[in-house]
This record gives sequence, C-alpha cells and structure tokens, in this order.
Amino acid sequence: MNYMPGTASLIQDIDKKHLGLLRDGRTLIGYLRSIDQFANLVLHQTVERIHVGKKYGDIPRGIFVVRGENVVLLGEIDLEKERDTPLQQVSIEEILEEQRVEQQAKQESEKLKVQALKERGLSVPRADTLDEY
Amino acid sequence: MFRYPSLEDCPLDEDEDAFQALGEEDEDIDQFNDDTFGAGAVDDDWQEAHERLAELEDKAGSSREPDGPVGNDGDVLGDPEDALAERLTRLVIDSELEDPAIMQAVHTRDPPQQPGGLNSSIWDSSAMLRRIRGPLLAQEMPSVSVLDYALPQRPPQARDEERDPSERALPRRSSSPIIGSPPVRAIPIGTPPKQAAIPNFNQQILCPKPVHIRATMQQRYPAPYGERMSPNQLCNVPNSSLLGHPFPHSVSPVLTHLQRAQLLGGAQAGRMSPSQFARVSGLVGSPLPSVNPKLLQGRVGQMMSPAGGFRAFFGAPPAPPPSQLPHPPGPGSHLQNLRPQPQMFRPDTTHLHPQHRRLLHQRQQNRNQHRSLNGSGGDRGGHRSSHQEQIRKDPYANLMLQREKDWVSKIQMMQLQSTDPYLDDYYYQNYFQKLEKLAAAEEVHGDGPKKERTKLITPQVAKLEHTYKPVQFEGSLGKLTVSSVNNPRKMIDAVVTSRSEDDETKEKQVRDKRRQTLVTIEKTYSLLLDVEDYERRYLLSLEGERPALMGERKQKICDMYDNLRGKAPGQDRPSDDHFMQIMCIRKGKRLVARILPFLAPEQAADVLMATARNLPFLIKKDAQDEVLPCLLRPFSHVLYHLPLGTVTSLVQQLTNLPQSAAAPTNLHLTAVLQNKFGLSLLYLVLSRGEELQSSDRNTELMQDNQWTELMLMVTRELLRIPQGALAKPVSIPSNLISLFSRYVDQQKLNLLETKLHAGDPVDLRGSSPPLECSRGRMEGRKDGWMEGTRFTPHLPRRPAWHMGHICPPVPG
Repeated sequence: MNYMPGTASLIQDIDKKHLGLLRDGRTLIGYLRSIDQFANLVLHQTVERIHVGKKYGDIPRGIFVVRGENVVLLGEIDLEKERDTPLQQVSIEEILEEQRVEQQAKQESEKLKVQALKERGLSVPRADTLDEY
Repeated sequence: MFRYPSLEDCPLDEDEDAFQALGEEDEDIDQFNDDTFGAGAVDDDWQEAHERLAELEDKAGSSREPDGPVGNDGDVLGDPEDALAERLTRLVIDSELEDPAIMQAVHTRDPPQQPGGLNSSIWDSSAMLRRIRGPLLAQEMPSVSVLDYALPQRPPQARDEERDPSERALPRRSSSPIIGSPPVRAIPIGTPPKQAAIPNFNQQILCPKPVHIRATMQQRYPAPYGERMSPNQLCNVPNSSLLGHPFPHSVSPVLTHLQRAQLLGGAQAGRMSPSQFARVSGLVGSPLPSVNPKLLQGRVGQMMSPAGGFRAFFGAPPAPPPSQLPHPPGPGSHLQNLRPQPQMFRPDTTHLHPQHRRLLHQRQQNRNQHRSLNGSGGDRGGHRSSHQEQIRKDPYANLMLQREKDWVSKIQMMQLQSTDPYLDDYYYQNYFQKLEKLAAAEEVHGDGPKKERTKLITPQVAKLEHTYKPVQFEGSLGKLTVSSVNNPRKMIDAVVTSRSEDDETKEKQVRDKRRQTLVTIEKTYSLLLDVEDYERRYLLSLEGERPALMGERKQKICDMYDNLRGKAPGQDRPSDDHFMQIMCIRKGKRLVARILPFLAPEQAADVLMATARNLPFLIKKDAQDEVLPCLLRPFSHVLYHLPLGTVTSLVQQLTNLPQSAAAPTNLHLTAVLQNKFGLSLLYLVLSRGEELQSSDRNTELMQDNQWTELMLMVTRELLRIPQGALAKPVSIPSNLISLFSRYVDQQKLNLLETKLHAGDPVDLRGSSPPLECSRGRMEGRKDGWMEGTRFTPHLPRRPAWHMGHICPPVPG
C-alpha cells in the first residue's frame, strides 16, 4: 500500500537501514524502527560512523532516539551498494586518532588564518555556535 | 489504613485471612479492587498458560476464527479487548475527522484484528504489582489514575471480571493525545539505587507467599527470581530461561513492542520500559511513601543494571541482513550460544497477575497469528515473499505497528487539510495537473494506461468561518485578558512617523522613492495574481456569482493600470516617471510583461508608447538585468492589434524623430539599434507597418510623409551602423526586406539584407523573396566597396551604449 504518494513520508522507510546526518555532525547508521509526526526517529542497532578521509570507523551504539529537529539528512541505504564502498574500514581507536589529528590540523590552520588577518587589521566574525561542526 | 507501614515490616508468613481482612476494608474504595482481588483472582496457572502458548505457537499456521466485534461471552479475552481497542481507536481518532481522505489513509482493519497489545501488558504489570504488594495495593485508586486519563467515560458500574481487565487498559502510549505527561514519580528515573535494597526487594517481591491468594502460584515465583543473582551474573548464566534470547528463531519473531519492552524489563539484564515504570509508580500510591522509594529504587536498580545488560542486548543481534555491527565478546557470546536453541521465550511475567498474564499470552498468540497472516500490512506492496523472508531474518521488524503507522499517517493527512488547496499548495496542485495532462496526452496516443500515478488526495475541508470570541464570564467586571493565537492582542503601539525634514539628503529621497516603487510593484503583483486566478474561480463558481467576479476582475485590472502609470491628477498622463521607476526594477519589467495581456488595447498601447519613448534610458538601466526581451512577446501581441496611426507614432517614438531630422546621428535610434530588445522591437513595429501596408494598397501609410520619412531614416541608420554594433535581434520578420525595398535601391537593399541576416546561423540570403520594383531611385552603378567582403556570422555580444561616434570599419 502506498502511503501518501507524492509526498515525503517516512512510513515507507520503516524497518530499513538508514543513514542519518545530525546537526552536530554525527553520522548514524541504523534500522529505522519508529517515527512520529515530528520525524523523531528510533534507530535500532545504531552505529556511529566517523569518517576521516577515505577511512571510517564504526562505534556501535545500540538504540538511538533522535529528536526530529536535529536531523539534517536521512536516507535509505542500499544494502547492495553498501558493500561496494571505496572507503576503508578501520578500528575505532584508529579512526578516533585520525579524527583527533584532523581536528588538530584544522585548528592550527584556523589559528594561522586568524593570526594573518589580525596582522592585517581584519577580524573574522565569530560564527554562531549553532549548527557548527 | 494499612497495618504495616512498609513492606519489610510485613511478616512473610502472614496468612491469607489477614490479607482478606485487609481487602475487605477497602471495599468501598474501588470496584476494581474487588474484581482484581476477589472475583478477579484467577484460577489459571501460569505454567499451564505457558504450555498452552507454546503449543499454539508451535502450530504456526493455525488460524483462529476472528472474534465478533463486541460482547461474545464465549471468548472472554478476545472480545473485551477488541471492544476496548475499538473504543480506544475512537478515542484517538477524532470523530470530526471523518474525512474520507484521511480515512483512506488509515487502514481500518476488522476489529478482531486490532492489536491490543498494550492492554494485556498493562494488565499484567499493574495487577501483578498489585498482587505483590498486598496491603499496599489494596488502595486501588492510584493504580487507576493513569487509566482515568485514558478512559474518562469509564462506566462505573460493576462488571464481570472478564470484562474488567480489558476496559482498564491504557491506550497506546504513542497514540493517545489525551494522556498528558507521565505520572509524577516519587523518585526520578535514573536515581542510583541503594545497594541494600535490591536483594531485599527481590526477596519481598518474589516471595509472595503470605500475600498471595492462591497458594499454588507462590512456589513458582521465588524460584526463577531466586536464581537471579545479579544482572551481570544472569547474563552469564546460560540457559537462563528468563534472560533467554529475546528473539529465538523458532518463535514467531514478531512480538508487540510492549512485550518486547516487557521482556527487556523483565529480564533482569535489561531495563524496565518506561510504561512499566509508569505503572509501577502509579500503582505505588502515596499512602506508603516509605515503601515506595524502596520499590522504585529496586526497580530502578534493575533498570540501572549497567553494561552487562546492555551488552547482552546489543551483543546478540538476530540475524538480519548483513550487519556491520561488531560482536562484542564476553557476555554477548553467552547469548549467542543461547540463540540457536529454540528457547521458548518467556517474558518475565512472574510479577504479574496471573489473569493478566493469561490475557497477555492470549493476546500475544492472537497477535502472532494475525501477524503471520497480515505480513507487514503495507510496507512492501507486492513483494510478499521477500518481505516474509525479511520477517524471518529481521525479528525486530514491525516494532511500529500498523496502527501506529496509520496514526502518524493520519496526522500528516490532517496537516494537509486545506480549505483552498490552490492557495495553500499551489505548486503541488499544478505539478499534478501537469502530470495528469501528460498522462492523458500519452494515453490518447493509444499507449494504454501506463503506470498509474497515484495521487495523494488531500482532504478537503469546507471553509468555516470562525469568529473568535474571547471568553467572558457572567457577572464579572471586564474581560479576561488572554491573548492567544486566535485572539492576538496589540502589545506594542508602533506608530509610523514619516520624517519630513528639509535637509533630507538626496540619497534618502532616492531611496525612499525606490522603496515606494517596490511597494507599488508588490501591490500590483498581488492584484495580478488575483486576476490570473479569476479564470479558475470563474469555472468553479456558480452562475449567479459570475458577473460579480467579472466586475471584480475588471476593477482589479484598472487598479493595476493605475498603479503602473501612476495616478495622474488630470486627464492627461504627463509624466512617465512613475512608469519608468517601475521599469527600472527587474521585477517591475516582468510585472509589466504579465499585465499587458490583461490591459485594454488603448492602455496597452499607452504602455508601449511610454516604453518606446524612453527606450534608451531603459536600455541603459537594463544593462545588468537584461530582462527587457521578456517584454517582446506581449508587445508583439499588442502590436498586432494596433491601428496604423499608432504604429507610426510608435516608430516615431522609437526614433525620437520630432526633433530635426537633420541631426547627423540619432542617438536615440542608434541606441535602439544596438540593443537586442530595441532592435527586435523596432523590427516588430516595422513588420507590423509593412503588414498593414501590404494588406491594403490604398492605405494612408503609403501616402503618409511621416511614415516615409521614418522609413528612410531607419534605413539610413541601419546602413550606417557598423555590422559589429548592430545587435542580434530575437527574430527578424520576413517582410522587412519588402518593406525596405520600397524605400531604398537594390544595392542598399542588398546591404540591408546582409546586415539583417548577418547574425543568422543559416544564410537566408538565397531565400529572400523576389524584390519588388521600388518606387525609389534605381541606381545601376555598382558600388564596389562592399562587394567581396565576407560577412562573418555576427556573434551576439552585449550591446554597447556608445555615447560617442561610431566609425564604420575600414574596408578590408
């Protein structure tokens, strides 16, 4: 039965594997078990996937209940295509380490940038803290 | 009221009589009490029920005949629950929403198939706890407090014990909007338990010997619970029937989510579901605060059982499609071992009232049968086999029941309710109209009905005029000062004062004027949208209303025109200023283009004139937007209805001729020629003139000096202008050559022709119509300077507005 054709309704997506991007930058993969009218999601067997470059690492998280307003994107995962990913899976420790390194590098470049601008008498306006990752 | 202030104080070997005495004390409190403790005390043995259930579940295919909707005493368990489910359904589904579209969206199933899982589980938990806490639970009131939310219309009269349980069930947590926040807890969830409490708690809860009515049951209870040492230990105990893999393969894997929650709650390794907890707290009434905390803590303690339980749950995923979750070692492996065994999964209902447990099992068995019949109920339309395979592989499927899906879908449909879909959801409606037209067109070609595009039929709601009246009480002084979304109150008195300073800067004046123009444009746009909508409204309206509609439409068109041209005080419209302001703004130009079809011919001609008069100015302003060409199409439509005189004056305007014709360079015309729009417009006008001319040989145009002069001027200019400066027009009317042929000689004609078609990808020179014999001079001498020169295709380029001289290219 076709639930609400021509609209974006999550009912058809239930019990399927999904990938969701949250506002804080986390990527969650899990089976979508339940929804409600606010698009709050219940994800089952959820895995938080951290991507750094071409590598990724999975952290198993169990059941996630996500408040709808915090979801940026949500999409169904094609199970066949999932196997053909060019990305390489690594262990959790490794990916966390990579992430830390990446963050550090970013911070350093940011610092340099701010320094350079300051030298020239310019200032970068501070971005609002919401939705920033 | 109670003899023992706390459960600990209650001697374990209290005999039944004492209990009965207690029970009698509370006869006046609540009917339900009697039903539960008196006649409601069950006769059934949980083990028997369990076995029955096991048998039933073994025969997967056996189907039970559906119950009648209400009131069969034969099947006590099925009907009351169904009746209740019905009532709950009605409760949830607002009766006002009897919109067919909404109802269609909701899958209404037969009452016997209504899942009533929640009911049974509530039964079990509430009654069980009641039973355990003997004297405490004699006070029934708190236990029904939550229920009262759900069923306000609960009939107070005494009922059979059989009917009673189902009527007390809570509606689904997820669907009832009536239940507010969960009941207040004495201790919030997550409070870490006191260590000592747990074993005590266990002991007390699990040794109901003294309090329980039916002696036979008692022995069962301590045993399973007694085995449980700690959550972690439990995890490691293999073959623990309580822990057991939640979803053994042999069992029909689809269980209600509440049951699963119960399993998790019951299984000591897991946590208690919030619903259970709610009931626990609801049941534990205020009179015995000293006991409550312990109980709650105990429960909470169970809930807080840490990683072990979590890991246990997490580490044993059922075999779904390839999962990338890692298998945690340790406790998880124990559970893995458990999995292959065809464990009869037994939810922990030891703390539940036996009758309620029986109900639970019966409903579970109902549900399993229904599930196996129903499949997903709509997730995958036609792919039955793959879906059932999926069910087999994914025992967590259908956690969200069909009813819940319908509920969400219904909410979504409600949100689509609209009194005027063309207003609220214009693009969706238009999109589907287009699709339907396409489909209809395709069908006409005899392709046969292709894939049916299912269209979502949005519920149509008749527009009801609600005049909101603020609440007033009789006899009170004044009104309630409440402001809501329906009754907004003005909170701030913001008065707009326009400053009329004398030393207002020029910039401010300009800015204000521009703002005024923008406001005018917006207002006119609203009028335009209304006018464009009239056609549709006309079709939808009744006969009697139509004249009124037409009148309105006319009025709006007049208003639009007034807005465009500026409301002139006198008859004459001396200044184009207002119009020019509008035309300087991109949106204004588009607005004019859209309005033109609605204007009367004179008005349209007026607009056209104004445009032509000020064309160089407009061209300059349009340099960035390049939106003027959008006006060409409506202009051309206007042109084709113009009379001769107007055409002449139009050309006049375009060439700005009234000044002396002897001016060496006509900047106005030059500008026009160098602009795509201008040139195209000029061509259109000329073409129209030619049309008129050729249609009637005796027209005045031919004798009209003005026209001839204009033509000569135009041709002269066209010849003079260098090829590169000439803009590329949108289209070149075919009769231009014949027009020019009247006024210029052959050679010049050729030149003109080349120039005209220089920009064409296809060389039309060969296909030009035979030239008429011109009335003008025929010069036979060749002018050689243009011969032999190859004309490269004229690439379109931005028209340059040259203020200076334009020099002809040096002949190459």
